[in-house]
Amino acid sequence: MMKLMHKEAESHDTTASADATFRVRNLNVTARGKTLLRDVNVSIAPRQVFGIIGPSGAGKSTFLRCLNRLTDLTPEIRVSGDVRFEGTSVRDPSVDPDALRARIGFLFQQPVVFPKSIIENVLFGVRRLRRLSRGVLAEVAERALREAALWNEVRDRLNDSALALSVGQQQRLCLARALASEPEAILMDEPTSALDPKSTQAIEELILKLKERHTIVLVTHNIGQARRVTDWLACICVRNGAGTVAETACCDALLENPQCQEVVEYLGSGSSLP
Amino acid sequence: MRRASNVIFPALCGVCALLACALLVGLVFVIAQRGVPALSWTFFTDQMRQVGSAGGIFYNLLGTLILIAAALVISAPIATGLALTQAVYLRSASARSRLGLFLYTLNGIPSIVFGIFGFIVFVKFFGWGKSWLIGGILLALMILPTVTVSLIERIRALPRKYIEAATGLGLRQSQIIWSVILPQSWSGLITGSLLGLARAAGETAPIMFTATIFAGASLPHGIRESPVLSLPYHIFILAQDSFDPGVGAKLWGSALVLLMLVFALSMIALPFRLRLHDEAHA
Ligand SMILES: Nc1ncnc2c1ncn2[C@@H]1O[C@H](COP(=O)(O)OP(=O)(O)OP(=O)(O)O)[C@@H](O)[C@H]1O
Ligand SMILES: [Mg+2]
Repeated sequence: MMKLMHKEAESHDTTASADATFRVRNLNVTARGKTLLRDVNVSIAPRQVFGIIGPSGAGKSTFLRCLNRLTDLTPEIRVSGDVRFEGTSVRDPSVDPDALRARIGFLFQQPVVFPKSIIENVLFGVRRLRRLSRGVLAEVAERALREAALWNEVRDRLNDSALALSVGQQQRLCLARALASEPEAILMDEPTSALDPKSTQAIEELILKLKERHTIVLVTHNIGQARRVTDWLACICVRNGAGTVAETACCDALLENPQCQEVVEYLGSGSSLP
Repeated sequence: MRRASNVIFPALCGVCALLACALLVGLVFVIAQRGVPALSWTFFTDQMRQVGSAGGIFYNLLGTLILIAAALVISAPIATGLALTQAVYLRSASARSRLGLFLYTLNGIPSIVFGIFGFIVFVKFFGWGKSWLIGGILLALMILPTVTVSLIERIRALPRKYIEAATGLGLRQSQIIWSVILPQSWSGLITGSLLGLARAAGETAPIMFTATIFAGASLPHGIRESPVLSLPYHIFILAQDSFDPGVGAKLWGSALVLLMLVFALSMIALPFRLRLHDEAHA
């Protein structure tokens, strides 16, 4: 029923914003005088997979990085507007960006494993964020690896180098590393674009399982993937030289019946893989 | 015309390279030829006797090793602080370039100036007298630019994705420095220290007024009035009055040992330098 509903961006925002995990209002991002994102308004409801599609270079990654302030790492990027995570403004001076990021997992396009053992990678964040005993850490690692569907593959070689894992396993290791500190939301920037079909399927199954407890924002170029795993979709397109959310709708509605000319063009361009 | 220059220029380069290699080989050959006869087990284990014309160089070698170790220990934390300031903390480009200029200026200071500085400040003003620690401090200052720049290069070469991933996990900057930046760049510290020391360990000027004497010292017993013997100064003194053929053999033997020592420092640095390239490709 939900899936057949179609809403324009505005109406979606107003209905869902009350308990939204992320609520973005009038987000503008500039870098060296160039506007990367203009007037982005989005609400992302809890325990859903919110997909973001759109042409290359439109600003999808930039948008994702605004949500956990990873943009702070790029000094030339200027962000304005209101981004709220669970009701609090992420750019409020009283907010500690590191504490904020600890509550939000992030998965990159290429898996980033540290040149250390598998177990050290899983515990890399959590052991520094919380004071946990050795026993508890071992439990945390097992839980996280099980949640990331990696436990059975690595349980016998936890102390081996993580660099020896396949890329697909490395991406699930990164997911386990994020899950170890029990984030409320997980941001994923094209997490499967470097993976083979089998690993991609594994990640997609994980996303569907994880959304029972986590809010997931998923940037993807793969329309088939968007169809399979997302509940809501936003299409970020370039309009007047800057990226903006052209349309937000529940997944099927946006894919089957796009309202916006840019979205129609993007979906019809064939750049989207099945 | 073009073809001629295609031949002549590489040939010129080749000749220059050959010349440089030949000079190095010749230098090593001459020193080895004259120094090897002096080498023996007791040359390393025995202390100097009869004003250098007999005995070995045990305390001279030990003194030089003490100076090297002190320089390593003193320069490492300072270089780490400087490199982190330059590569991580300083956000303004002009401040970074000013710090860079400071490092290059420091690198250009002649070693004799370090020697005089150490003499005035530590020996006289602080009243330490000659001390191994002053030598360690001065050598540390001399190698500081090399160590720092080498560490900065390693930190710069660190793939950005590691910093982003650690930041994304919610780690604080200090935690990222300790868990990501330093573990992946400390080999730059080793490389820089060893290469810097390979140059500085053979210097006489910074230590001759401040840290070393020719005879009558063994192990340092404290800081004040606690000089060590050293290889460069030993060679310097022997070379000044090497009319005695016995002294001549010891002189060349000491020079050979010093040469082997600095070669060893460069060689130990090699695997650490190669590591950089391994990781860059990984
Ligand atoms: N630091 C920066 N300075 C200037 N321009 C930037 C900067 N970072 C990103 N951009 C520009 O912002 C635009 C959006 O980049 P972004 O990476 O967000 O796009 P994307 O939608 O994720 O693209 P893709 O699908 O290829 O990943 C691009 O045109 C890019 O060149
Ligand atoms: Mg992107």
